[in-house]
Amino acid sequence: MNKTWTTVAAFAAVCATAFGAAEVGKPAPEFEAKDINGRTHKLSDYKGKIVVLESYNLDCPFCANHFKTGAMQELQDWATSKGIVWLLVDSAGKQSGSYRDPAAAKKEWDDLKIKATAWIDDHSGKVGRLYGMKTTPHMFVIDKNGVLAYQGAIDDRPEPEGDPRKARNYVREAVSKLLKGEKVEVTQTKSYGCGVKYGG
Amino acid sequence: MAGKRLAVLLAAVAFATNGSAAITTQARLILSAEAARPGETVMAGVQLKMARGWHTYWRNSGDSGVPTKITWQLPDGIKAGDIQWPVPGKFTMAGLTTYVYHDEVLLMVPLTLEKDVKPGMLDLIAKVSWLECERVCLPGKAEVKTTLEVGANSKPSSEIFLFDAWKKKLPRVDEAINARAFWEGGTDGDSRAFVLEVGAMDEEDFFPYPDKAFEVQAATETLPRADGKVRFRKLVKKFSGGWPQQVQGVVVGKAATGRLIAAEVNVPIAEPAPVTSATTAPEAESKPLALMLVFAFLGGLILNIMPCVLPVIALKILGFVEQNKESPRRVRQLGLIYCAGVLASFLVLAGLAIGAKQASWGMQFQNVNFLIAMTILVLLVALNLFGVFEVTLSGRAMDAAGQLASKKGVAGAFFNGVLATALATPCTAPFLGVALGFAFTQPPAIVVATLLTAGLGLAAPYVVLSWRPDWLRFLPKPGAWMEKFKIAMGFPMLATVVWSFKLTLNHFSKSDVFWFGVFLVALSMSAWIWGEFVQRGATRRGLAAGASVLVTGVVVTLALTKAPELDWKPWSPEAVARARAEGRPILVDFTADWCATCQVNMRTSINIKTVRRKLGQLNAVTLVGDYSREDDAITEELKKFGRGGVPLVLVYPKDASKPPIVLPDGYLTPQIVLDALEKAGS
Repeated sequence: MNKTWTTVAAFAAVCATAFGAAEVGKPAPEFEAKDINGRTHKLSDYKGKIVVLESYNLDCPFCANHFKTGAMQELQDWATSKGIVWLLVDSAGKQSGSYRDPAAAKKEWDDLKIKATAWIDDHSGKVGRLYGMKTTPHMFVIDKNGVLAYQGAIDDRPEPEGDPRKARNYVREAVSKLLKGEKVEVTQTKSYGCGVKYGG
Repeated sequence: MAGKRLAVLLAAVAFATNGSAAITTQARLILSAEAARPGETVMAGVQLKMARGWHTYWRNSGDSGVPTKITWQLPDGIKAGDIQWPVPGKFTMAGLTTYVYHDEVLLMVPLTLEKDVKPGMLDLIAKVSWLECERVCLPGKAEVKTTLEVGANSKPSSEIFLFDAWKKKLPRVDEAINARAFWEGGTDGDSRAFVLEVGAMDEEDFFPYPDKAFEVQAATETLPRADGKVRFRKLVKKFSGGWPQQVQGVVVGKAATGRLIAAEVNVPIAEPAPVTSATTAPEAESKPLALMLVFAFLGGLILNIMPCVLPVIALKILGFVEQNKESPRRVRQLGLIYCAGVLASFLVLAGLAIGAKQASWGMQFQNVNFLIAMTILVLLVALNLFGVFEVTLSGRAMDAAGQLASKKGVAGAFFNGVLATALATPCTAPFLGVALGFAFTQPPAIVVATLLTAGLGLAAPYVVLSWRPDWLRFLPKPGAWMEKFKIAMGFPMLATVVWSFKLTLNHFSKSDVFWFGVFLVALSMSAWIWGEFVQRGATRRGLAAGASVLVTGVVVTLALTKAPELDWKPWSPEAVARARAEGRPILVDFTADWCATCQVNMRTSINIKTVRRKLGQLNAVTLVGDYSREDDAITEELKKFGRGGVPLVLVYPKDASKPPIVLPDGYLTPQIVLDALEKAGS
């Protein structure tokens, strides 16, 4: 019996260290990362606020559709206006072809009129791997106490075209519930999108 | 409105950054039939041809990506079924694993024609959407169509061979795959491990089907294979609700030709059975255990008839009776103590076996090596029984035992028991060897129980006779028949060698099997040299010992340094077509196990360094058509070239307009092959 327990623990540990220690219902992992303007952000800085992490890559058609239709910017605007901290996490590695250096990133930010709080330059993949970000987009909603309340797909419509506003948006739902002090209904879904282009 | 302006601006931005990216995958719709009758089912296929390096996704895309979707626009009376997904490949990059198709895939969909479908030339339209990825991902979309003539006739299309080829890549959906799954251990938050046990030895992985409520992680841990089953440990992460009751997917393995084959699996996940031993899988022990103990007892009993043991019984009992004529009770007592001596010796043996097993625990006994060792061990036992060589205890050990046994009374009886076991070694060794071999697969308690039972069997006659010394007259008299009995026992041992050898076949390639057989023969010869010239020999024993080792050593060296294999892909008309389309020369070898000429050709003229190098230089494709069993496609192909059978070796030039070069019938030479390859590359 002991053997199986240690095996499960070892297996979980390996998976966790290799990929993602973020688990719904548990405190979200602390991170420290710089954004494209050089400012450092720590999760603990935002204790008392709801934090949304969005893994981002405009080269992925799924992610791009959310921005091209303006749906993502609307969602970001709505959230930030309610005091939510919305961090874009760009984990594309320098050799991946999707890397944006700070200058290019700033231009993209302006062109798309992104309404998030900041764009985290995670080309080392540290934050992405810490949270187990697998696709772009992949969403994480952390409540005021630093506990992970939702992780997974942004909505129930994995399409690279069409209007995402027509879909059921899990992030909007989770944030609304948290703002009202209620329990989040859907806490986990399988995220969709292209694979995060880690350190290539 | 700000929103509208934003949208226009974004469209412009999008166009500038992404608009020029054209999709690289080509899609077309083909049918297995040109014409069909109402009521029939026609197979439609969406063929996706990906550019080199690009891939599309399986029904479960894995960590990222999206499965290909097909929406049908069909005339009334035609209904489309579910997509039949061929086995994908598993692709891992930067820690993310996906299930993908590279190069090409045919997604087959059965179209059922209802009885009332209107006849005529009907248009079938499929709207296909997919995600294709290389370094970047592009969403693909295509509307493909084809026509089907519905009427009084049925006629297969010219693409039917493509359907046949891809049908072979579908997972089997039969009951032959014996699978079961059970949860292992407890839960870790939202994660829980389960073990999938499959009753087929060559399976290598399990690809799960997708589910909304949970995800089976891509990483597969293959547990050590044992007793004809393979076990995979997979981790389940649940999103919502309770733990899944059922797991569905395909087990994937490699056929002898290197092709991936798969079988669908759909099993409930059972709660773990209470585990009582250190083994990772619960095994039904009770029935076989009782049987094993019976065999162990019988084995011990039979040992008494062995040439080394039988004479000793009579002597020993007479000895007891002599010593204690006055007290029958004393005789009985001594008999029991003698039994204790035997059991103690067997206990020591059990301890040694367990110790050896524990020591090698860290080596992770791979099943193949165990089977090889077993086969060798049983062969040596058979040879020993035939009298080819002997196994004896060292002289010192015998002396020590003898001294202890000469003590009178209780101590004497005890050590007599030990001595009897020791003396019996030359005869018991063979059987104990086999017992030890099996002991390795059992937990320590079983090992002890089995060996003690064998000891009981060995001691039983003594105990019985010590209670009834007058039964001594029923004992078979020692004689020449004992030697013959011993040799006769060698034959069941040989049968065991054959059985054990067969078990190793699953793990070996054809040439490996051949070399293992040769090795066993060489080992037998070495054993004979050892027995005849070292053990029974008078002079030059050192030389003989060397010769013995040399014989086996040479064979082992030859076996280990055999030629590396070429990358043979299975032959099919499409494989030829594909390679020709890529502008690569092709070497096709039609061969069979029973075709000696083919084997000689392979060894002397094809699988040699110069030819391998030339094939590499030309970037040639090597295809093998295995005619060991009847194959209609190969028969047709052979007929095309005017051959009644194998061998047939073809070299297709890289220029697709040129016909294939047919190598001469019969024995080939390296020069013939190299010349043909030279011409093919020009």
